[in-house]
Amino acid sequence: MKPINNFLFFSLSLFLFSSCEDVVQIKLDEGSELIVIDAFINDLRIDQKIRITKNNSYFSTTDPAPLTNAVVSLKDLTLNKAYSFNYENNGNYVYKLINSDTIAKTNHQYELSVSLNGITYTSMATQKRSAKIDSVSAILRDTRGGGFGSTKDPSYLCLLFAKDKTDSNADYYWIKTYKNDTLFSGSRDINVCIDGTGGEVYDVNVDSTAFTPPSAFLGFNRYNKNDVCKVEIHSISKESYFFFIQALAQINNGGLFAQTPENIKTNIVTPIGAKTKAVGQFNMATVVSAKKIIK
Amino acid sequence: MRATLIFLFLIYFTHSFAQEENRISVEKYTLTGYIKDEKNGETLTGAMVSKYGSNIGVSANEYGFYSLTLPKGEHIISVSIIGYKTFTFSVILDQNINKIFELKEEGKNLDEIIITGEAEDKNVSSIEMSTAKLDIKQINKIPAFLGEIDVIRAIQLLPGVTTVGEGASGFNVRGGNVDQNLILLDEAPVYNSSHLFGFFSVFNPDAVKDVKLIKGGIPAQYGGRASSILDVRMKEGNNKKLAVTGGIGTVFSRISIEAPIIKEKASFIIAMRRSYLDALVKPFLKDSNPLKNTQFYFYDLTAKFNYRINEKNTIFASGYLGRDVFAASVFNFNYGNTTATARWNHIFNKKLFMNATAFYSNYDYLIQFGSTNGPNFKWRSNIINYSLKTDFIYYLNTRNIIRFGAQSLLYNFKPYDAISTFENANVNFVAERRYGTESSIFVGIEQKIFEKLTFEYGLRLSIYNYIGKGTAYYFRDTIANTTLPLQNSKNYEFGQTIQSYLNPEPRFSANYLLNKSSSIKISYNRMAQYIQLISNTAASTPLDVYTIASNNLKPLTADQGSLGYFKNFKNNMFESSVECYYKYLKNQLDYIDNADLFINPTVENQLVQGLGRAYGTEFYLKKSKGKIQGWISYTLSKTERLVRGISNDNWFYSRYDRTHCLNTSLNYDIAKRWNVSANFVFLTGVPGTFPNSKLQIQNINIPYNTDGIRNNYRITPYHRLDIGATYSFKKNDTRKYQQTLVFSVYNVYNRRNAFSIYFRTKDGEPLQTEAVRFSVVGSFIPAVTYNFNF
Repeated sequence: MKPINNFLFFSLSLFLFSSCEDVVQIKLDEGSELIVIDAFINDLRIDQKIRITKNNSYFSTTDPAPLTNAVVSLKDLTLNKAYSFNYENNGNYVYKLINSDTIAKTNHQYELSVSLNGITYTSMATQKRSAKIDSVSAILRDTRGGGFGSTKDPSYLCLLFAKDKTDSNADYYWIKTYKNDTLFSGSRDINVCIDGTGGEVYDVNVDSTAFTPPSAFLGFNRYNKNDVCKVEIHSISKESYFFFIQALAQINNGGLFAQTPENIKTNIVTPIGAKTKAVGQFNMATVVSAKKIIK
Repeated sequence: MRATLIFLFLIYFTHSFAQEENRISVEKYTLTGYIKDEKNGETLTGAMVSKYGSNIGVSANEYGFYSLTLPKGEHIISVSIIGYKTFTFSVILDQNINKIFELKEEGKNLDEIIITGEAEDKNVSSIEMSTAKLDIKQINKIPAFLGEIDVIRAIQLLPGVTTVGEGASGFNVRGGNVDQNLILLDEAPVYNSSHLFGFFSVFNPDAVKDVKLIKGGIPAQYGGRASSILDVRMKEGNNKKLAVTGGIGTVFSRISIEAPIIKEKASFIIAMRRSYLDALVKPFLKDSNPLKNTQFYFYDLTAKFNYRINEKNTIFASGYLGRDVFAASVFNFNYGNTTATARWNHIFNKKLFMNATAFYSNYDYLIQFGSTNGPNFKWRSNIINYSLKTDFIYYLNTRNIIRFGAQSLLYNFKPYDAISTFENANVNFVAERRYGTESSIFVGIEQKIFEKLTFEYGLRLSIYNYIGKGTAYYFRDTIANTTLPLQNSKNYEFGQTIQSYLNPEPRFSANYLLNKSSSIKISYNRMAQYIQLISNTAASTPLDVYTIASNNLKPLTADQGSLGYFKNFKNNMFESSVECYYKYLKNQLDYIDNADLFINPTVENQLVQGLGRAYGTEFYLKKSKGKIQGWISYTLSKTERLVRGISNDNWFYSRYDRTHCLNTSLNYDIAKRWNVSANFVFLTGVPGTFPNSKLQIQNINIPYNTDGIRNNYRITPYHRLDIGATYSFKKNDTRKYQQTLVFSVYNVYNRRNAFSIYFRTKDGEPLQTEAVRFSVVGSFIPAVTYNFNF
């Protein structure tokens, strides 16, 4: 509902001319300590990382403090095979793929366990299937008209054409976009969708047939000639999809019709009786990718 | 216990009737009729008709009807109403007499006395407590936002009434949510009382006669909402001559025409408003601006017709139609209310008066994105009410007035009906219509126990049925604050009852007169509410959907007790009161964290019901005579909620809790043609949920509140000064053309009051987070309005 709320807010601002926002200094209490587990594993042939940190005070401008003494293990329950992740730096625990197969396999079930100070935090995930990419294409940005995001410089926008599996199961995707191998990593670049429709289909028997062009519009990121646009579609679980939706709703939650701020849900299980709670998200992804060199 | 109480009442009641009969063995006759304004024939409600020099009297009801029974003989009768010359006359009662009193307005501009047609000491002597009545003359003198006076904004200056902030729809009464106010326009409920989100209300002041807000001690004839009744009565229309009233303002223009159809028998009023902000903005926008073709306006039309068939029968028909439209090339959003009311007043005999009402009310909205040919999304929702009700007033004798009646109401609503079109393929998300019926019967007795003590007691019995046609969903219980899993669902035929609720709603008020100028009042009421608003946003939006009580959602009930001391000074020049209240709410709607409230057929598993409590003290001082008039009110209050699974199962502040509320409104007739006015308000900032830490996951800095406490901080206090000045032009001697110019400045000292404080990640710096104050009104707002009437 964000676009509707934004529009309402925008209309109201127009009406009043005077509605305004300013950055203010306020004092917030220090929250109690949490363990933050950021575990997004995929089947790409790169080193897989799980990051474990403390939570940070809200206005802190530094990186969160890493937790270095954890024992991190990922178990493939389907194969009954465990992989251990070793601490490298900055809170990152890494599993290096050296001549070995990827550890993430579609339709396999996984369990993550993180042991810290004698307490084991766990989470389960099933790796979902991904979509099939047809192509990535670039279009010249229209410089004549108005519209949001218009510009006078000629530049390109990229579109993704992909086909979603059609059956009675809803699929959730996270579409990551790179320009010359640099990920667009801002919070505004987070692009998650359901069956490519951009909205939840409640009746699970309805599955849209395809990514409807240009539903997988890759944002307002601009490209110039000779740039390389690379797109990856990561399959995510329904929980992970809602994790992103909730996170995005919380990080810019202003205006007249802002929602009541809420803590995001987590799929990390803290054992009963543990003094410190763990939060975060664990997801296993199947990735498909494609690239386009803009000419 | 309850049975014993009722039994005792009955004994007392019969005893009191018997006493009355014994004491007066003499012959008695009744004086009945209507009380009207001599100038335009409008009925005057609440006027006091009494035997001179005694405290035997009766006040005219909401239709201006009175009935006073006195022993045979000569009596001096006085009819008194503030703002009108007291009418005194002698009558020899040797038969029943029907008499229409026409009262003259007192004074001219300068010493004009405001406040509605009430006897001067009514606040002390009447049984009503926690009730405020404003008439349009009084509302007219309050400095208005953008120069346009408004009923609901005026009400927000009264003690016990707050809002979550500027621009928020609706209002909160004594810690009640916005959906707990029964807003009636000529007896039909209005579901969204706001234009432009919340800056103006749907009530066109030119068509409004008076407004009554009942916050406590709610009489048995009202029911259906937990916290308050806002009873807006429309003018009947001048039945003596043609009258035109209008105004041209900064935001909108309005005009109303009223005239007799048959002189003194039938008349009508028709009033219209339309805003033109979009037209004013257009020339300032560049061609390339995507808002160039924006439509942005509201309009409303209010009309009423009345016909006095004969002495015993009067019929009324009234209606309202209003709409807010926001549209651009790829976007269309509009919403509005429609209401229609038909009423019949019938006098069976000198002691029995009846009002029968049939009404229809519809609130709907449409939202549409995308182009007609390309991908688009369209979404509608509506709520419709049909109702029939009758109210009888039986003037048993000078000590007992009995009201009784019944109402039947049908709720018919569509939570959503959405169509999304992509490449000629439609995906429909259509929710089933949902139905509920609410029937109630009530009896209420206003009884003078002895000279100084008056009781009003009654019982309302409401029966609610959640009915088919439709699917009822049944959920399994699970961990608090998570989505309840669906167990099964069942289809029901049309009219088949899915779930029933019965709620006895006792009401009681008492007034003990300490002396001529002071009294103590006490009241208790229970209210049941079968419909609630689903909203998890800071301010309720026009898109919010109502939901009715069902097999999953129990009806909301409220128990409220109030105690008050009322005192007038200096020959009723000053009125003052102190009231304490305590309200306890059950089954108030709340939401699980991260609830999915839109386009969700099983939305009920996203909702939770909890408890609420609100208590406070309201101080009120009003001066209603002389050159300087106005009031000052201060409320100290607390409003909390308790919901399983939310805020660690502890009581938390509600979103509209404001500890201190100070409202002052003054106006001064400074010179012959000038009236100046000012408002000052100070309100404690509303609570908000602030994070105390952040989590970094996938490069997103997510705010997190490790204590899990909702509404753990408060935003900065709200305060504001508004000033206004009205210049009345010299009246044309030959024609009765009257003109005024109203100047106003809202938020004089340019304060940026926070509506909310929210938290965000700095643009382009993903590591850095900041707090942002959002103000709806960020500067002072001057305005000029020109008004006329003839």
